[in-house]
Amino acid sequence: MSFLLGTSLLAIITALACALPGVFVVLRRNSMLVEGIAHAVLPGIVVGYAFTLDLDSPWLIVGAALAGLLVVLCNEWLIRTGLLIGDAPQGLVFPALFAAGVIMITLDFNHVHLHTHVVLIGDLNLAAFQQLTVNGVSIGPQYLYVMLAVLVVNVAFIALFYPRLKLTTFDNEFATVLGMRTGLLNTAFMFLVSVTVVAAFHAAGALLVISLLVAPGATAHLISRRLSVLLVLTAVFAIVGALAGFWIAYALNAATSAVMAVFYGFMFVAVAVADTLATRVRRHRRTEATSARRHRPTHGKTDSAHSP
Amino acid sequence: MVPIACQTRNLSVAYRADPVLRRVNFSVPVGSVMGIVGPNGAGKSTLIKAMLGLVTPLTGASEFFGKPLDQVRRRVGYMSQSTSVDWDFPTTVLDLVTMGTYGELGWIRRPGKAERDRAMAALEQTGIPDLADRQIGELSGGQRQRAFLARTLVQAPDLYFMDEPFQGIDAKSQQAMIDVLKDLTAQGKTIVIVHHHLATVRDYCDHVTLINVGVVASGPAEETFTKENIRTAYEVRSGAEAFLETAV
Repeated sequence: MSFLLGTSLLAIITALACALPGVFVVLRRNSMLVEGIAHAVLPGIVVGYAFTLDLDSPWLIVGAALAGLLVVLCNEWLIRTGLLIGDAPQGLVFPALFAAGVIMITLDFNHVHLHTHVVLIGDLNLAAFQQLTVNGVSIGPQYLYVMLAVLVVNVAFIALFYPRLKLTTFDNEFATVLGMRTGLLNTAFMFLVSVTVVAAFHAAGALLVISLLVAPGATAHLISRRLSVLLVLTAVFAIVGALAGFWIAYALNAATSAVMAVFYGFMFVAVAVADTLATRVRRHRRTEATSARRHRPTHGKTDSAHSP
Repeated sequence: MVPIACQTRNLSVAYRADPVLRRVNFSVPVGSVMGIVGPNGAGKSTLIKAMLGLVTPLTGASEFFGKPLDQVRRRVGYMSQSTSVDWDFPTTVLDLVTMGTYGELGWIRRPGKAERDRAMAALEQTGIPDLADRQIGELSGGQRQRAFLARTLVQAPDLYFMDEPFQGIDAKSQQAMIDVLKDLTAQGKTIVIVHHHLATVRDYCDHVTLINVGVVASGPAEETFTKENIRTAYEVRSGAEAFLETAV
């Protein structure tokens, strides 16, 4: 497989693996909690890297994901204590963990050599460098298959628990009264998000992984009226953004994850503007139709009595 | 003696050092409509939430048909305040009502035609079947409450908990809700309703529990919903006196 094809595929698979659970992150209004996870996994990654010397190692991914889950659990615990209000618990927990990771790197913990820019924004090309070969034939970057595995697990989880995930996202209290184990499902989901964040770390870093998770879902949310449609549109936006980001970055010789994040931002604005214009046109047409009807004699035919 | 649908014993809830509910004891007879009445911040919603396990009580316990909630969940329905969810959520009214059947589906089963048919029947009961395919964000305040009521009806419980079901709704929706409540009581169902509008308490409820952190009085409306008790519960402040003159 050519390096360009392999790396662009990697961009697509990484974007999809992040964007699909990202839909529920957006709907649960947990975006900043995930930002917290993305920072808090750093010490886990540093320790894991020191032992495995491989950012794609499954041991490192699961270990660091547990550190990410720690943020979620600490956050919930701090909220329950009532000692802090709003999202202050996040501000308390994740910088401390991120800083611990930074200290480990600067102290050269176990001779770890992680570059600052990899930690912050990742490096897709570097991540794609190590090729997987079968019988001497390259079948693409090794990292591609790590992200593919994460994507498969994420899709399977969402497909399997779709009704419960939907209800706990929409109305967690109602789900609890129905007797659902909401805590278990929510923790399992946040662990999966944490695994995804760690796995995507190599490609997008602590700062930009949030964009891969949130932007496609937030964009699709602007124009979706059904959850199933939202998931499909999110996948489409993720793929378009990944491909465009990758090739623009290639043409400009810029950092791929950064260009992807910027492109996602533009995509959101474009869809928001298009949606607003479309709504205005629809409303204008409706007003015209209503006034045209008013000038015609009608026979007791009215609009639905239930229109809000 | 009339059997008891639900009761609490010594139920206390606190947010940090502040008591929200103090040693609440009350019971709801089967077939009654029990109004939970009290001023803002009296702990009305918290009482229901603590009973249903949504808020962890500091002390005390609740029983439903003589058993802990976990053993009788199917018989207990909850209609939360419609402001408790995000109405921009991408789903339709029919989908929302179908969620009432999810408790029976287990971990991975999806709702099918049977569940959707039941949801449709519940929408007909609340008088909004024509809104089934609407996105939930398009509903008015009254329609939202009716959709929420339909979601609870679809569970077909024996005991209903409703948190401010008449909050911010139009006259038409109010009448539709009252009709459903009358149907339910005619079928012998029990209803616990958080209500803050003193003037209409007697219209809806045959039993009343007046609370203000602790229970002021609980029992049949004619015995408990008296000027004296209301004055105690409301500590006669914030214009409640004016209400008293017209309400009771």
